[in-house]
Amino acid sequence: MYNMPVDVIATFNVQGKIKPNFIRLEDQSHALQTYKIESIMFSREEKYAGMQALFFCCNILRDGCLQMINIKYHVNTHQWVLVSDESDKGEYAKEGYNN
Amino acid sequence: MDKLIFHIDVNSAFLSWEAVYRLHVLGEKGDLRDIPSAVAGDVKKRHGIILARSTPAKKFGVRTGDTISDARSLCPELVIVPPHYDLYETCSRAFVEILREYSPCVEQYSVDEAYCDMTGTVGLYGSAVVAANLMKDKIYKVLGFTVNIGISSNKLLAKMASDFKKPNMVHTLFPEEMEKKLWPLPVGDLFYVGHATKRKLKNLGIRTIGELARTDLDILRSHFKKYGELIYAFANGIDVSMVTDTVPANKGYGNSTVIAFDVDDARVAKMILLSLAETVCTRLRDDKVMATVVAVSIVDFEFNHASHQMTLISPTNVTNEIHRAACRLFDELWDGTPVRNLGIHTSKVVSDGFTRQLNLFDMNRYDKLARLDKLVDEVRDRYGDDSIKRAVFLNNRIYHMAGGIAPEKRKPNYKEGIK
Repeated sequence: MYNMPVDVIATFNVQGKIKPNFIRLEDQSHALQTYKIESIMFSREEKYAGMQALFFCCNILRDGCLQMINIKYHVNTHQWVLVSDESDKGEYAKEGYNN
Repeated sequence: MDKLIFHIDVNSAFLSWEAVYRLHVLGEKGDLRDIPSAVAGDVKKRHGIILARSTPAKKFGVRTGDTISDARSLCPELVIVPPHYDLYETCSRAFVEILREYSPCVEQYSVDEAYCDMTGTVGLYGSAVVAANLMKDKIYKVLGFTVNIGISSNKLLAKMASDFKKPNMVHTLFPEEMEKKLWPLPVGDLFYVGHATKRKLKNLGIRTIGELARTDLDILRSHFKKYGELIYAFANGIDVSMVTDTVPANKGYGNSTVIAFDVDDARVAKMILLSLAETVCTRLRDDKVMATVVAVSIVDFEFNHASHQMTLISPTNVTNEIHRAACRLFDELWDGTPVRNLGIHTSKVVSDGFTRQLNLFDMNRYDKLARLDKLVDEVRDRYGDDSIKRAVFLNNRIYHMAGGIAPEKRKPNYKEGIK
């Protein structure tokens, strides 16, 4: 599975801080659903392969249930992607990147 | 104070960078570095050689420079991915940027290698080995790829040390360690010793670096002239060159291209020369220099090399003038055998402000052409290389700016993932 490009609504504050607010995902019947990002657990800057990205681990409310998702903003291409790798969460949480 | 030099080398650079990109940017599951894999060109375009291979592929005996078919016969399940030069430039820049955080003097030696002058940094980072491990781990943590670091008191020994055991290692090779670590190695491993020298040295009974170091210098001088002194010094770990962070000016500008088909028509060959002249002259004008000597090189379908050069009346960077000279050289040089590779190389570079020798027979065309070239450069700068081209290249399978990195190699098509 690849990282999937997704639509995101984000706010950019005067300090240049980026905060994703809403994300639009496809449900099982391929209909687009918009979800509010309830909280951001942590975020961090990445520079793998020299490409700058912002990584956000956040919670969305889906079917009355909080679900943790990872999204990434690629600074160069201005693209938001849904990170496919589930194993990432544990590793980063352990290292304790908090924002 | 004793010098302290680091040589930092990215482990199978192109492949590592490709792997990190696929893993962290595209989000692929598998890591190319864990399976037999290689970065290689397109067979159809005759770029079908292995550019970099993973450690598991190395175990099958796949070497850099092998043809794809050779590599496949050694390792049938080899995963081959196309090159991605834009990515390599990004990675290389980020790599050197990190090194600059640790050392005031960084010399980028190639796309994946650099020297750092770490003299006097003991107070900052602790001993050399500690500092090297710090740098190595930082690069891995931030950029996601591994490097080897060689530590010594000069560039040569540092470079030899970084080549010892890979990947992700730090090695030292100080002059007092030479006897144990450097001298037992085969002489072919020494920097600057290639296949031809290795063969000649073998005939002299010299097989290891240690044997070369103990050979009488006069013997080497008589066989290799000045070069003998150099390899003798290298074998003894002597290298006086400094780490410099200023890039020396280019002495010459050249581009060559492997043609996808054998050329047996002079008209086609001259068209390819025009596309090469276009690239070479754009680079000359970019750096605000002019060249006085033009050379053309030909490799025929049997891999025989030939080249021919001439000095122009006056230095130039006008595409048409260089092309005209190249065509004249080509006519004098070519004997009609099918051509596989063409190249134009210019040298004796002078700065753009050089006063031009007026020429009665040029009919004042020089100024006009120079203005035209300048305009074309500006258009290409703004709207891309393909925005303007000579009409002869319209609907032509020859690309209008040959040489260097072809556009399709900069960004590959990522439709298929790795299994």
